Amino acid sequence: MLLASLQDVSFGYGDVPCLEHATIEIHTGEFIAVTGPNGAAKSTLLKLALGLLKPWQGSAALSACNREGEKLTIGYVPQQIASFNSGFPSRVAEFVRSGLYGHRNWLGNLKPEEKEAADEAMRGTGTWELRDRRIGELSGGQKQRICIARSLAMSPDLYVLDEPTTGMDADSRIRFYSLMREQIDRFGRTVVIVTHNLSELESMLDRVVTLERREEGGWKCCTTTLCNGHFAPVESLR
Amino acid sequence: MLHYDFMQRAFCAGGIIALMASALGVYLLLRRQALMADMLSHVSLAGVAAGACLGFNPTIAGFIAAVIGAIAVEVVRRAYKTYSELSVAIIMVGGLSVAMILMSLNKTMNKSFSSYLFGSVVAVTRTELIYMSAAAIVGTVFFLFLRRPLYLMAFDEESAKTSGVPVQWISLGFSIVTGMIVAASMPIVGVLLVSSLIILPAALSIRIATSFTSAILAAMGIGLIGTGTGLTASYELNTPPGGTIALVLLLFLVSGLSLKKMFVWIGSKRASKAKAKPTNMEVANT
Repeated sequence: MLLASLQDVSFGYGDVPCLEHATIEIHTGEFIAVTGPNGAAKSTLLKLALGLLKPWQGSAALSACNREGEKLTIGYVPQQIASFNSGFPSRVAEFVRSGLYGHRNWLGNLKPEEKEAADEAMRGTGTWELRDRRIGELSGGQKQRICIARSLAMSPDLYVLDEPTTGMDADSRIRFYSLMREQIDRFGRTVVIVTHNLSELESMLDRVVTLERREEGGWKCCTTTLCNGHFAPVESLR
Repeated sequence: MLHYDFMQRAFCAGGIIALMASALGVYLLLRRQALMADMLSHVSLAGVAAGACLGFNPTIAGFIAAVIGAIAVEVVRRAYKTYSELSVAIIMVGGLSVAMILMSLNKTMNKSFSSYLFGSVVAVTRTELIYMSAAAIVGTVFFLFLRRPLYLMAFDEESAKTSGVPVQWISLGFSIVTGMIVAASMPIVGVLLVSSLIILPAALSIRIATSFTSAILAAMGIGLIGTGTGLTASYELNTPPGGTIALVLLLFLVSGLSLKKMFVWIGSKRASKAKAKPTNMEVANT
């Protein structure tokens, strides 16, 4: 199932174009890495796909529903989210549970299974021991991990992660990539990740979207489909 | 003191506003919009001046101006996404300049304007108390029902949007509620010090609280005690209520932060002492 697509999209900030004629498609059950040098509009590409930015030209579409016909849930971890205000008065457990607030839970207490999902997300990301700490007291890598735990707690259909491993040590990074692969293999979810460490996770990926500079200016998308045997049609996962 | 009608009204209004303004302050600080209350108070003043000039109820005009200013700030904020503080500066300049010109046109209102600028317990009328109560009810419903989306938005608006939160509408509603609370606070603390009631309790609470809910409750408690103390001191010492409340809240902030630092220092000293002291087992081994 097609979850998101950009067709011949161009975009820029002010009058300066940064992305030109980009076309990508994101299907259910894929693990896609977006890579390219600094300033190659990788984050912009994700924001366009999520509908957070409107393209200058071309079309961007995001599916409203998942395969079951329910509202599509997205676990988005932006690049700067871990640099939140260090004085923010919140504990790690409260922050991770806030992933469940979304559109379906504005009032009332969280259900026991939702709390369990949040606890599981903290255990999965190695942040369980930090659950009673103030989020402002954490290191950069720990902050990054609680942001990931928050999106994991949501059990979203689509993960969109913008450089989520910034500040993490090598072991945590590898554990994180495996966790994401497991989300796809076990639950048929979709992961799009912006990364500079392609070599570390290449073996787990289905596709790599590389942003390359065009001769006439701006950046274009080049998609490489990897044959790692991971990608399976969603129907077969079910 | 409390046998005076005006003091009863002042305490009642001060209590309502302190609770609302302090809770609002936590959200404003976390959304990095601390100057918004200041800006809206200037816009509200322009409304008061316009109401006086046009023979319209100044309080209602101030309310309407603050709400329009709040909507305008949201529109300008979207236009200048990267420089969101610019929207505050632009509208503050607009509000203050309009207020100054209108005030200079209407010289008979000088006394009343000074009570708007510096706050006056006598200025709180029964009608204003009703407006404050209305603003408080709207604010309570807003913050109670939307506390979770507001929490998400305080972290990051983009991820909140992708989680299904209607960020634009809630942001607009938040600005309007802010405008209402600011306009309602003016008779108590005045235009120039309205942000003190909103920002100072929140500034202390986010430093001492460990969770989001406790930060809001602590801010409300600090705001309530500070306003009560300030009003009492203002009555006893015959000082302007706005300035006295602001000064009391400032003292609370300074002493609260100092106490916190002292506790942290004592805690670290104890921890390092405990580390340096050998355990029984270590003594036995040696």
